[in-house]
Amino acid sequence: MSSDSIFLYSTIVALLSIVALAAAAGLLVYRVVKGPDAGNLLGVKAVWLAWLVALTATVGSLIYSEVIHFEPCRLCWFQRIAMYPMAVVLLVGAIRREYQVKYYALPLALAGLGVSIYHYLMQVFPSLEGGSCGAVSCSARLVEIFGFISIPFMAGTGFMVISVLLGFYVNKNSV
Amino acid sequence: MSTKTASNKGQEPKSKSLIYWIVGGVVGFGLIVWLAIAIAGEGSVDESIAFGEVTVEGEGLPFVETGAADPATGLTAPTVTGETIEGGELTIGPGDTAKIVVMLAHWCPHCQREVPLIQDWVDSGALPEGVELYGATVLTNRVRDGDTWPPQEWLAEEGWTTPTIMDDQEGSIVSAYGMTGTPTYVVLGPDNENLGRLSGEIGLDGLNALAGLAASSLEG
Repeated sequence: MSSDSIFLYSTIVALLSIVALAAAAGLLVYRVVKGPDAGNLLGVKAVWLAWLVALTATVGSLIYSEVIHFEPCRLCWFQRIAMYPMAVVLLVGAIRREYQVKYYALPLALAGLGVSIYHYLMQVFPSLEGGSCGAVSCSARLVEIFGFISIPFMAGTGFMVISVLLGFYVNKNSV
Repeated sequence: MSTKTASNKGQEPKSKSLIYWIVGGVVGFGLIVWLAIAIAGEGSVDESIAFGEVTVEGEGLPFVETGAADPATGLTAPTVTGETIEGGELTIGPGDTAKIVVMLAHWCPHCQREVPLIQDWVDSGALPEGVELYGATVLTNRVRDGDTWPPQEWLAEEGWTTPTIMDDQEGSIVSAYGMTGTPTYVVLGPDNENLGRLSGEIGLDGLNALAGLAASSLEG
């Protein structure tokens, strides 16, 4: 795949991340303003939306590794371990309209978010990893869009949106 | 019959709501793709300017192994000829001087930290007489960091004065010196014998140690 194609694909994902981040911020503000009643805003759609984010992130990361042939680094793998099961678990939860799905998916999303933040910090402060960029390096960026969006940023955004949706918009009364 | 009608009426708003969500999602995604095409289209450039023609004479050194003694110590490195970042030609091969070759990737944060340090070291006159320092830009990739691409512009902004060649798209220089990480330093004697290779940020102490190693090959 040419650099132009990779850049275009990464720009699309980066823009999706920005939109998702803005949506997550909006949902958080709405939750603060409305309180627990905010859970009624989306109903079961909150689980479907969380699934859509997990599916997009899963497919997006597979395109990076299997189509573009970027080799995932160690921390990328940890984030994949957290994200990929959610693409299945949340689908089952949405179909069965089970609010309890949050208890299975939310820990994965929060763990993934933690790894993403650490990974992004490692790219900002490369000395956290060591002194060189190897063939597969966690501190080196494989893509950089708008000067600050890299792959762990994109992944972190996905984890954050899923966490907000499951944490504040999925409960016994809403689903 | 009446029950069915009531049920259908009740489902209408839900169906409509779902259609709105789907249409909204498709339109939103379309807008994002359109915007991305507009942004990415502006960045379309000729990437060949960041690569040079490279000729390698001789067998490449085996790749550096992490945590092990350099298996290539004592082997003769190939003679590498390449295009410099200023557009000239440079050959790194047997001669009267010892050489230190540093391989740099513009997107590598460790190289970005090491370059100004190396430049300060060179400016301070710490390079011993009879030892030459050369650079090589390797693994160049615009997608990984557009701000430091092309590498010749990045190095110029850093005030880089070291003669530097550009690797080709096949990575001939990477293979010639058996590089596995960046930055990588290769110390060569006057006869192009590999005296040692080191990968990673090495700081001023490391630079002085490599310079000492290179200078020692000139004795006797």
